[in-house]
This record gives sequence, structure tokens and C-alpha cells, in this order.
Amino acid sequence: MNRRAQAFTVGVTGLALTLAACGGGTGASDTGSDGGDGKVDSIKLVAAEYSSETQGFWQDFAKTYEEKTGTELEVQVVSWDDIDQQSSTMIQNGNPPDILNLNAYASYAKDGLLYSADEVLSPDVKSDLLPNFVTSGTYDGKLYGMPDLSSARALFYNKDLFEKAGIDAPPTTWDEFAADAKKIKDTGDGAAGYAEPLGPEEAQAEFSIWMFNNGGNWKTDGKWSINSAPNVETLEFLKKLSTDGVTQNNPGKTNRTDGAFADFAAGKAGMVVGFSPLAAQLDEAKKVEYGVAPMPSNTGDEPKSYGVTDYLMAFKKDGNAEAVKAFYDLYYQTDQVNTFIENEGFLPVTRSGVEKFSSDADLKVYLDTLTGVQLTPTDDPTWDTIKLAVQQEIGAAVGPDGDPKAILDDLQKQAESGS
Amino acid sequence: MTDQLEKAGPVTTGTGPRRRSKRTETGYASGLSAIPWLIVPVLLIAGVVVYPAIALVQASLSEYSITGLRKGSAGFGNYTDILSHDDLWTVLANTGIWVVVVVALTILIGLGLAQFMAKDFYGRTVMRWAIIIPWAASLVITARLFTLILDYEHGVLNQLLVTLHLIGEPIDFLGDDTWVMPAMIGVGVFVSLPFTAYVLLAGLNAIPADIVEAARVDGASPRKIYWHITLPLLRPALLVASVLNLIYVFNSFPLIYTLNDRNPGFSHDTSITYSYKLAFKAAERSVGMSAAMGVLNVLLILVVVLVYLRIIRWREVTQG
Repeated sequence: MNRRAQAFTVGVTGLALTLAACGGGTGASDTGSDGGDGKVDSIKLVAAEYSSETQGFWQDFAKTYEEKTGTELEVQVVSWDDIDQQSSTMIQNGNPPDILNLNAYASYAKDGLLYSADEVLSPDVKSDLLPNFVTSGTYDGKLYGMPDLSSARALFYNKDLFEKAGIDAPPTTWDEFAADAKKIKDTGDGAAGYAEPLGPEEAQAEFSIWMFNNGGNWKTDGKWSINSAPNVETLEFLKKLSTDGVTQNNPGKTNRTDGAFADFAAGKAGMVVGFSPLAAQLDEAKKVEYGVAPMPSNTGDEPKSYGVTDYLMAFKKDGNAEAVKAFYDLYYQTDQVNTFIENEGFLPVTRSGVEKFSSDADLKVYLDTLTGVQLTPTDDPTWDTIKLAVQQEIGAAVGPDGDPKAILDDLQKQAESGS
Repeated sequence: MTDQLEKAGPVTTGTGPRRRSKRTETGYASGLSAIPWLIVPVLLIAGVVVYPAIALVQASLSEYSITGLRKGSAGFGNYTDILSHDDLWTVLANTGIWVVVVVALTILIGLGLAQFMAKDFYGRTVMRWAIIIPWAASLVITARLFTLILDYEHGVLNQLLVTLHLIGEPIDFLGDDTWVMPAMIGVGVFVSLPFTAYVLLAGLNAIPADIVEAARVDGASPRKIYWHITLPLLRPALLVASVLNLIYVFNSFPLIYTLNDRNPGFSHDTSITYSYKLAFKAAERSVGMSAAMGVLNVLLILVVVLVYLRIIRWREVTQG
């Protein structure tokens, strides 16, 4: 072999190695969809990371699933910051997972990517799901968004600050609320009366719970009602809290996790809208004596709670229907779904779950509201973009030059042109 | 394989010296025998640079659903959407301010720092380490750290300034519209300094001591020596530092994204974070628009760098 031939061999070997390396990345996913008899031997779950417990739960789950079905379950846990980007990239590349855990599903259903419950959910499981979550998971008459867990919000208050300000009981009306917030602010030790997070992280949640307790909603009778009179009044109330100086600094630019929750956990806020994971965090830190109460109402009606559920949706791929069905069957077994929910500190999505958790005194305040909880219109694909618009725009309304009416009018216009 | 090696061995050694001398004469290998050696790098470049570039342009010409599903061709729709977007000019102005101020400050402070590091003094090694360590930390972690330092309620900096009675009320560095950009610029300079200072230090060390010595003997003042000898000889290093900084700073995503994450809208975004938000965070939620902005970003930085090189007459410096 002469030198030229040797060089050629080296080059070809290099080429082969490069190709092999490139191929390695996609090879794994191909095995999933090419079972010989039209059935797959592995499926992939992409799940959102709720806490450090999430990975462990899904890994154990995968083991049980494999023992039961003989099908491999590949688990990829992705942080909430990145999951929109990752799922979008997977679909863009024509390589979606079999199951995706996300806070939205309607756009995916609209694009015709998903299995409906009729195809992959056992009737027993479906009838166990709480009716309001079935409603929110139903697009165009069919259930596509299977709920994985839920949360409901309530008013958290700092007992020490309440005592210092001479307040006996948590507020039940908005007038009381504003007065109490002012009293706490006036104690003068630098604590805000109310921590109001209208920054981009979760502004739609903060606005929702106030809106629901003023008789407003995002949609009324199937039509967008973002700029309805009660909603404008609500946003004006939130702005007034800010201009009166009873909230923390700059509420339109405060996020929830590292802003409002951090303030409350540090004893620097008298009240905040929280949920059970915040309670767990406060219990662990043991820094703040807190109480949990229903939200104050502005209409004299029963207090409303704002609920959130996330979804496990299944993508239509050749031959994976049976494996996906087995996945749901296993997930909704009481010892699986409720373990997951308990680990993460959230609330159940099934009747059997509510029964199981009903003995837990800490969860009572949420469970009582869970069946009557109001959700955002996640069943409308337009909401998937309106939610983002709300996150990016509504904070400006409570700033010094903010105009609540104009901002809500603009959001209403966007929603109407989108649907 | 062993067979081949054994056979190949003697042949190669036999013809080796003759060929080698021939190659040094001509200076390059014949085209055909170079091809196998080029395959790997060419494939790598194709896979890592060319393919993504093509994919980006393709994406910018496509229409996508919010889920990421391609719906079809969009023609130049994404580009016209970008150019008619309300916030484009705010974003471009932010980008201009961000790049120019950060690069200028970095070079100025970097010059001083390099000058300082070049001196021989007790503890110089410690100081050199102290300057390089921030560079080793991940940008996201640095940025996260600065959100804690600059925070209104819990930030160390505000506590310090208030305790020292330098300010009466805390400043909302990351939320107050007049402070967000200056605060981000401060952090931007902080993270760009190590690299810049070291490039300039290398440049300083490359200046022959005898020239400086000769000037001193001839009676030049330190200021004159710096102005007429050090700075001109430092020009190549300054050039490298400023061009690379221009590109790094322009492309700086983690800093802006992390420090600005509490502010709604696009009022403090640069074109890079704008492009990301268009795809995943804003109501547009459009991969196509984001890709179009990505293409515009590449063109923008290319034009900026070319214009810059033109101004400082690159060829003259590198070849003359």
C-alpha cells in the first residue's frame, strides 16, 4: 500500500467515524417507531421539572412500566424555563415525544398532533377525573389534555405582621383588604402590605384570581371578555394598591418565585397569593408564622379560587397507541398519580385523589375549593398566545403611567383577532 | 490491518526522505492527496456551520404554528413582520447602546488593568488570578448572582449604599427604567474585562523593552512614551480585543436575559434576546419570525464588524 492509499484509508476511516458520530444522536429515537409488527418497543416521555423529586418519580415509574408492559419508557425531565423551547424544537424536527407534560395542550390538539381520550384513555380512568379538569382539557368536544396534577391559590398572611398592625382576622372584602394592607405598611418597619407579582413570570395567574373574585372572567359565554367592566375595575384596584404604596416596590416588574414569594418568605410582606408548594417552602424555612385564608371577594359572593392544572398529552405516532394507553392506565392508578402529587406538594385531579387527601388538614382549605375552582381558558388555542401577551403587557398597567383600560382593550383586540 | 501496516511500513520509510524534500520545495501537497485529509474538517464545517445556517434561512422563510409545526412557506412575511414590529427600533437602539458602551468601557478599563498587571509588584500573581476567575464562571451563574446583588429588596448593594448614607432610598437597579441599562452595562463590562485585560497584557508584554528604554534615554516623558510608543505598538492587540468583544457583547444572551427577566415587554432587550423572546416568550410565539431576526442579527454583526475594520484600516495594521 503506497502513501496515497494510506492517506485515503485514514480519510475514509475519519469520514466513517464522523458519520457514525452524527448518526448516534438520532439512532436512539428511530428504534421507538419502527417495531416490526406495527408496535413500538419503546416510548418517550418529556416531563416538566416541578422539583428535585420529579426525576426520581418518573424513573421509578418507568421501571414499573417496563416490568408491566415489556415496553421501554425513556424519560427526559426538562426545566420549566426550557420546556417550551425544547418541545417546539422536537416538533419542528418532526420528532415529538410520545407523551409530553406541559401547561398547555389546545394548540397541539388544533394542529392535529394528539390522541384524544377516546383512543388512549380507559373509561374507568376518564370517569375518575374531576369534571372541571375534564372541561379544561376538552378541545372541540374531545378530551385531549389529560390532567397530571393541579393547584389552587389562596391568600397567605403573615400572622406576626397582622398582630403588629392590630388586625384580628384575614380580610373578606376588597375594602378590608386595602385597609389591612395599609395598616401593615404603616407599621413602618419596611414590610409591604401585599406582595403583588405582575411581572412576566405568571402575571396571568395573579390577575385571574383577583378578576374571578370581582365576578369577571377571561371569556364569558364563549366570547372573550378581557376588557369587561369588572376586569377594568379589578386592574384599577391592583394599580391603586401600587400607587397607594401598600405593595412592594414596582409590582409590574416583580416575578412570583424570586420576587413576591421571596418577600413573603423573608417576612417583608403582609399578604401574598400562594399555593401549597409555597406552604411547604415556608414550613421548611420556619421563618414566618403564616395563615391561609380564602381570597377576599368584591361582590359579596362566595370567594373564588384560581386553579391550574398541567397536562399529559399523547402524540399520534405509528404503532404507539397501545403503549400510550398502558402509560395512562398506570399513571392514573391511585398509588402512582397521588404519590406524584404528594411528592410535588400539589393537589389531586381525580375523585379518588380528593378522597385520599381529604384527611390532610393542611390541604383542607384548597380541597374545599378544588371542585369549584375557576381555571383560565386553556381549552382555547388562542389562550396559548393571549397568556403570553398578558404576561408581557399587564405589568405596565400598574406602573405610574399605566392605563389599565387601554391595556385590557389591547389584549381584548388581540384575543378577538386570534380566534 | 496489521498486514497493511507491515507492508506499508518499509515502503514509506524508503520513499520518505525524497518526497519530504520535494514537498518542502513546493510548499503544498498535490490536490488529490489532500482531499482525504480535508474530508473530516469539511464535514465538520458543513455540519456545524453550513447546515445550521441553511436551516436558519429556511426557517425564516416558513410559517410555523405555535407548537413548532411547519405549516408551509411564508415567503418574506416573517421579514416584513419583523421590520414593521413596534418594538424593533427600541431593540436596535438598545443593542447599539449596549454594544458601543460595553466595548468602549471594557477597552478603556482593560487598558488600565493590563498596565497595572504588567507591573512587577508583591501579590501580582494573586491579582492576576482574581481577574481571571470571573471569566471562568458561567455567564448564567454570574448574571444570577448579580440579580441577587442588585435586587431592590434583598440586594447587598442597596443595603451597602443605604447603610453608608450614600443614597436615602434603595434603587431598583433591575426594575427602574432609567437604571436597567446602566446596571446591565456594568455587569457586561465586569464579565468582558478578564479576557480583554489579558489580551492587552499580552500585547504590552510583546513591546520590546529596549524601545521604551531608548525613548526614556532620549528624554521622553512617561506620557509621551505611552502616547507615541506604547499605544501605537499595542494597536494590533487593541484591534483583536475590540473586534472579538464587539462580537461577544453583541451576542451576549445570558446576561441580558437573566438580568432583565422581571421586566415585561421588549423595552430593555437587545436584538439577541428579542429574537429568543419572539420564538418562545412573547405573544408572537413565532419560530419563523425569530429565525428571520436571527438572519438579520448575523447580517447586522457582519456589517458592524466590516465597517469597524474599514474605519481602523485592518490591512494596514496587520500587514504594515
